[in-house]
Amino acid sequence: MTLRIAEKKGEWINRDMPLTFTYEGQTVQAFEGDTMSSALWAAGIKVLGRSFKYHRARGLLSFANHDVNALMTDGVDTNIRADVIPVSHGMELFAVNTEGGVVKDKNRFIDRLSPFLPVGFYYKTFFKPRMMFPFWENKIRKAAGLGKVNFDYPRQLRPKRNAHCDVLIIGAGPSGLSAALTAANHGKQVILVDENRYAGGSLGYDHAADSSTSDKLETLLKQVSEHSNIRLICDAYAGGYYGDHLVPIVGKEGITKVRARSVIVATGAFEQPPVFRNNDLPGVMLGSAAQRLVHRYAVKPFHRGVVVTANDHGYRTALDLAAAGVEVLALVDMRQQSGDEQLAAAVASKGITIHLASCIYEVIPSSDKLGVAEVVLAGYDEQTASARFERSSRIACDGVAMSAGWAPAAALLYQAGTKMRYDYAVEQFVPAQLPEGVFAAGKVNGVYDLALRLRDGQRAAADAVRYLGGQDVEQIEVAQSFQLAPSHAYPIVHHPDGKNFVDFDEDIQVKDFINAAKEGFDNIELMKRFTTVGMGPSQGKHSNMNAIRILARIRQLPVEQIGTTTARPFFHPTPLAHLGGRGFHPHRLTAMHEWHVNHGGVMMEAGVWMRPAWYQPQGAKLTAQEAVQQEAMAVRKAAGMIDGSTLGKIEVFGQDAGAFLERFYTGKFADLRVGSSRVALLLDEAGVMVDDGVAARLAEDKFYVSTNSSNAATVYREMQRNLQLWGMSVTLVNLTGAMAAMTLAGPASRSILTELTELDVFEEAFPQGAIRTAEIAGVQARIMRVAFVADLAFEIHVPSSSALHIWQNIMKTGQPFGLRPFGTDAQRLLRLEMGHHLISHDTDGLTNPFEAHAGGLLAMDKAFFTGQRSLQILAAKPLKKQLVKFVLDPGFSAELPKECNLVINAGQITGRVTSIAYSEYLNRVIGMAFVAPDQAANGQQFEIRTDDGLLVKARVVQGSFFKLSAQ
Amino acid sequence: MKLLQCPVNGTRPISEFTYGGEYREAPDPQTCSDKVWADYVHNRHGAPGLKKEWWYHGPSGTWFIAERNTLTDSVSRTYLFGQEKDA
Amino acid sequence: MQRPVLRSPAAFAQEALKPERGVINQMMTANSFADPATEAEYASRLSLCDVSFLQRFGCKGPAAAEWLSAQGLPVPEQANHYVQQGVLRVLRLGNSEFLVEEEAGSEQLAQLNQTDVPERVHAVLRNDAAFVISGPLVSELFAQVCDIDVTAELEDESRLVMTMMAGVSVTMLRQKSAEAWQYRVWCDGTLGAYLWQTLLTIIQELGGGPVGANQYFKSI
Repeated sequence: MTLRIAEKKGEWINRDMPLTFTYEGQTVQAFEGDTMSSALWAAGIKVLGRSFKYHRARGLLSFANHDVNALMTDGVDTNIRADVIPVSHGMELFAVNTEGGVVKDKNRFIDRLSPFLPVGFYYKTFFKPRMMFPFWENKIRKAAGLGKVNFDYPRQLRPKRNAHCDVLIIGAGPSGLSAALTAANHGKQVILVDENRYAGGSLGYDHAADSSTSDKLETLLKQVSEHSNIRLICDAYAGGYYGDHLVPIVGKEGITKVRARSVIVATGAFEQPPVFRNNDLPGVMLGSAAQRLVHRYAVKPFHRGVVVTANDHGYRTALDLAAAGVEVLALVDMRQQSGDEQLAAAVASKGITIHLASCIYEVIPSSDKLGVAEVVLAGYDEQTASARFERSSRIACDGVAMSAGWAPAAALLYQAGTKMRYDYAVEQFVPAQLPEGVFAAGKVNGVYDLALRLRDGQRAAADAVRYLGGQDVEQIEVAQSFQLAPSHAYPIVHHPDGKNFVDFDEDIQVKDFINAAKEGFDNIELMKRFTTVGMGPSQGKHSNMNAIRILARIRQLPVEQIGTTTARPFFHPTPLAHLGGRGFHPHRLTAMHEWHVNHGGVMMEAGVWMRPAWYQPQGAKLTAQEAVQQEAMAVRKAAGMIDGSTLGKIEVFGQDAGAFLERFYTGKFADLRVGSSRVALLLDEAGVMVDDGVAARLAEDKFYVSTNSSNAATVYREMQRNLQLWGMSVTLVNLTGAMAAMTLAGPASRSILTELTELDVFEEAFPQGAIRTAEIAGVQARIMRVAFVADLAFEIHVPSSSALHIWQNIMKTGQPFGLRPFGTDAQRLLRLEMGHHLISHDTDGLTNPFEAHAGGLLAMDKAFFTGQRSLQILAAKPLKKQLVKFVLDPGFSAELPKECNLVINAGQITGRVTSIAYSEYLNRVIGMAFVAPDQAANGQQFEIRTDDGLLVKARVVQGSFFKLSAQ
Repeated sequence: MKLLQCPVNGTRPISEFTYGGEYREAPDPQTCSDKVWADYVHNRHGAPGLKKEWWYHGPSGTWFIAERNTLTDSVSRTYLFGQEKDA
Repeated sequence: MQRPVLRSPAAFAQEALKPERGVINQMMTANSFADPATEAEYASRLSLCDVSFLQRFGCKGPAAAEWLSAQGLPVPEQANHYVQQGVLRVLRLGNSEFLVEEEAGSEQLAQLNQTDVPERVHAVLRNDAAFVISGPLVSELFAQVCDIDVTAELEDESRLVMTMMAGVSVTMLRQKSAEAWQYRVWCDGTLGAYLWQTLLTIIQELGGGPVGANQYFKSI
């Protein structure tokens, strides 16, 4: 028989749009607006899932996404929160975590094994005998976890967006709505966000059969929607609180990162269940869940039921149930007396019997264990939290609505650094000290009466407006008093047979806490991890407060001394696509990029840049190895050109330019002749090598400095900082992007270059280390002789906008000479042949110049340079290691040792390989390695251990690789 | 994420900045002992408290000093080097 | 030898769109990407235009402000501000760095580029990728690519900001125009192709598209 009832004002379903879907193979009717669970419940289907550990049948508990009793899969997505996700036409749903369907789940027998599966059982079992462990591991892995991952899940782009406002209000219940209006009326830009499909919060369902509540809601919603200062976002939750009021709002289409100038948290509270045996049967649900079913979806929670309560909320629920046509057979109040007399009178006037100082001792399941058959009532002793059987009775029914109290939804307050305190008047944690710019209102602030909640929202907004510098903002006071607290201090009913659940995600019962404490896990952090309370998908929303209360009683301590565990972002599980957003991956392209791509360049990322690693000549099918050797050979025998635009390039101007460089780098620059260049070695304060570039003097007060590509930004930044510290008269210009560079190298390079410029490029006029400015192919260029990849090489620097023109001209002119472009892989080999180390490839975060044969670059007689003082100290100490060049035996043909393979001497590690490559030109395997100082002499042999454990013989080469004999 | 106020460019998200280490006065390398120098190079104050820090605003290339309480992560003021008095 | 025809730093990313091209200020420029009606349609929603071809001059140094003034140029007093005078726009980028840009082919900037700078003034070679972003949907775009509240920061028309957009450093300002939703963006040329492509992808998702130089410079 359907549980759907007549149309309710403000219902969320659209009866004009019926739809059908299937659940576990069964066809179900629904309306647009129904969630999966509400549609199923309306159809009388109450088994919505099987619990994680014991595979007990489960139905609705909170119906607010504070529990995961109902997790479903539609074949594409899994672990869908059926309680809150709308169902659509044609969906085919199944409960997760079952074998053989939710009703006939093969694992339901585990419930009967539960005595053997106490809390933490997996810490104590399965490892003896050891060889059986893999078997158990396999079983447990299959049994643990919920839905199955769909590896064909479609890839979706969910761009993130930024938003800004004066006041961000989280929660559009009565407090949030009234706060929004107050702030907006003071001229503030407000973003109001609510995780539900429609705003209103408890105003939409906690009526206690008072129809004026929905009128109030309608008025507030109208005012909010008409106010131009308020942006209402529904169907989106606040994921967490991040520094300086940054709150990600997670909606279906993606995350909006809201940067607010102030935040009001009006998130309400999570209803907490009273704990009694079988409180998890389908049909037993929280009072607020019952109210939501009735008012949002026009569904009766059950036909004939009992309400059990430890606070006044049960009375409100009973009134809503009666008004919806439910036969309320009894209201069981665990307290000695009712709270609000008017509520009690209203309930009594409906003919509902009120049992004071009573409890539900246990719920008796139906014969198929899938629902409620009857409840056992008993007297209740609040002191001992146990039932008294002087008067007990049984009531046949098909459902129970239960209420015991509230836990504030304070995660964002905690994350913002709020200090909370336990308030005994309301029996909940409330904010004691809020951080600047953060405010709380409503139930999360411990305010429960509706009229006061509305006022508290106004108060918080007034406080926020004042904080933002508002003048003449009214001071609003909110004072509340209770007969009895809105939450019960200890709503637990002990039962010798257990199954009185605290955490429904993890199947944690009362005795689990007692056992954990007995084992010594008796502080809140240990208790949490040993029992796993609060570690399920709901992250303790419906269970943490009861857990704290139980632990407090076990330890005989006041609740506030137990503490709380830390609630971390995100408030609900958030899809990875949302977190990834669009993903920005900037790439820098040189002026010749298109040319490289069109000429077979195999492009790779070098930091933020795209560079060709090697080129596949047109029509050829070379391997990378073959191409690299060919490119390198071209440089040795004819000519090659590489795009070096990624080099850092900095102009240093001013009368102190030379002096500045002398302090910054290790070498001498004050006396550098115009038209010459020198190696610019940069150290840090510890004397460690950071960068080696080249500094060339263009004029008395003008230097042109280049740095390694990877250090461009760092060197420029450090120059800027030191300039300020040293107070020198220098201007720096970073031209890394504005200038392009290309190196033309090899025996034919001079012949090629001379055809494109009037400049005299022959040896006498243009020696090693010189820099000249001249026109090449009609463009002003700076040309340097730099012997990095070859002795004869010209590094040409031109403005980026004309670089391609130059490149193309050189390539065209060089063609008859055999000019080939070469990439970074060949460059690496070529510089190795030349014997040049690469900083941060051959050196590391500790290498000083003495260890890398760079002592000659240190002008220690200067008054000061960065790192000098440390070098003085280091110079006095014995060397620990030395970077040397080495060769393997001629004809070596086994697998090459790798970079980072260790150098072993008499069973000890004495170094490692930093570079290694086969050189076709030299017909030898060459490399660089760190070795012990006593292994560094020319001709000295040492051994390298490969990944396979083989020892390969290597020999130190102190001179040039090019002068090697066949030896 | 955190916001930081550049003295020249105003308040910006911290992703626009690079941290440059604690602002420290170096001992005079010409007169200090090896021990003092080594302590300066290798050791840092680990205790939380108010620290002067170097920060660099990337898009504009501006270096400045921020005074930050490293326990509460709140910045009390920022200023360009040498302009502490005007901050 | 013939002066080379330059290429916009964003040209690589525009190839696939096959724009109709012409040479402006010695730079091969996309004059239009589609027929005028289509481009007008884009402009009414959100459009992206590559104006890297405009003439620019950069300088910095302790005497830079003084010298620019002496050349007859208006100089903003504060950092992060700009002044427009006729076809010239003078941006004060930092305490003592300036960018001068010219809207149409006047001779002033060409002259400036030839003039020798005195002591304590240094020419800064520029290789900007420069775009005009325009249309009522512009704040939708900014919401996706900028963390700061761009429209609020640039409400003051004389301000400019140096910030990050889609992960790259940019300079931005709001251009005085009838509709009040026209913005200018500059970034390092080596990032021009990336930024063009990234912005255009989002702009097209929002229903807009690329427009050529003809959209703004019909007189050239």
